[in-house]
Amino acid sequence: MGASTGLAERYLGADDVERRLVDAALRCVERWGLAKTSIDDIARQAGVSRATVYRLFPGGKDRLVATVLQYELGRLFHEADSEARQATDLEDLVCVGVGIAMRTLTGNAALAYLVIHEPEAILPHFAFHRLAPLLATVAELSRPHLGRFLPDDAVRPAAELLARVVLTYSFDPAPELDPTDDDSIRRFVRTYLLPALTTTQERT
Amino acid sequence: MPAPDVDATRERILAAAYAQADAHGLGQATVEGVAQDAGLSRATIYRHFPGGKEELVEAVISWEVARFFDRLGEEIDDAPDFASWLTRGLLAARRQLEDHTLLQRLLEDEADQLVPRLVTVMPIVRAVLRDQLAGRLAGERLRPGVDRGEAADLLARLVVSFIGTPGVWRLDEPAEAERLVRTQLLPGVVEVGTRSG
Repeated sequence: MGASTGLAERYLGADDVERRLVDAALRCVERWGLAKTSIDDIARQAGVSRATVYRLFPGGKDRLVATVLQYELGRLFHEADSEARQATDLEDLVCVGVGIAMRTLTGNAALAYLVIHEPEAILPHFAFHRLAPLLATVAELSRPHLGRFLPDDAVRPAAELLARVVLTYSFDPAPELDPTDDDSIRRFVRTYLLPALTTTQERT
Repeated sequence: MPAPDVDATRERILAAAYAQADAHGLGQATVEGVAQDAGLSRATIYRHFPGGKEELVEAVISWEVARFFDRLGEEIDDAPDFASWLTRGLLAARRQLEDHTLLQRLLEDEADQLVPRLVTVMPIVRAVLRDQLAGRLAGERLRPGVDRGEAADLLARLVVSFIGTPGVWRLDEPAEAERLVRTQLLPGVVEVGTRSG
């Protein structure tokens, strides 16, 4: 868990070059997809050498998707941070988080391109055991926020549940959770999610 | 309505395709190999699956997913109430997934071949699950504001998600599975106190 959180938190401490590389990779994939994007393309787009790309992404293209996903998670939490800190209660916080996360996912051009044209390159990262490190990263990045309103040992299960909800309703939309409609989000959160975050049961 | 012997032939081909995938993987399996395994001509295979290997691969994946959920349903069908039906379902599904050697091997070696096709099949799985859940929810008292269709859909999505990726939950332990059901799956949907079990 430490390694994957480290990648996401790297966004915060990332230098310009690293950020430029991830942005460059996303721009290339948006345009050409993953298969047709080479390390050279990314290097050129970012204005750095091949060696620099390989230094910061030692797995080359193979690890690129997993790495960028973790990195983008870090970016998502960074951008949501100030609005999340303004939430006055758990319901507010969850509405903010779910809304921003869903709008980010559904608005990501590179992700949309891959899901439609190269599902084999992206979908395995959101399924079975490969999803687990992403859920764990979400849990750790959520801790400062959910921890304001939930006991410590409730944070991780709560965060993972919310991540699952965000993922499924982003990939397979339904009218009852419309990320462009604040009322829709609030109703869904209040009705279906809050009780699932705040119910405890003594461990036997 | 297809004649029984057409269905039997289709089953035979799918069973052979499964055996070929088990022996050679999805990428290396061939229509020729399936024909040999099934004791049928290639022409017969193509008659049932005009799309050739691609259609066969999709069909055998759907077939095995359906069988997986049939086996699961059989195992948990006699659960005394909704909560224990869900609990047993999660436990049994996780166990059957972990024990499914072909699935585990394909996830390891050919995830790019397998997962996109599983994703294509999932809406059907979810629809079947949703209908079953909606049926069972009809016997429960729902919390205020809860719509039975929405609740069934949410639970179907979450069940598939947890089965595929347990995350922090140790779903090989009955107490954990029960805790997940009682703290995360049921509370948003059914009324406390009138909850069965």
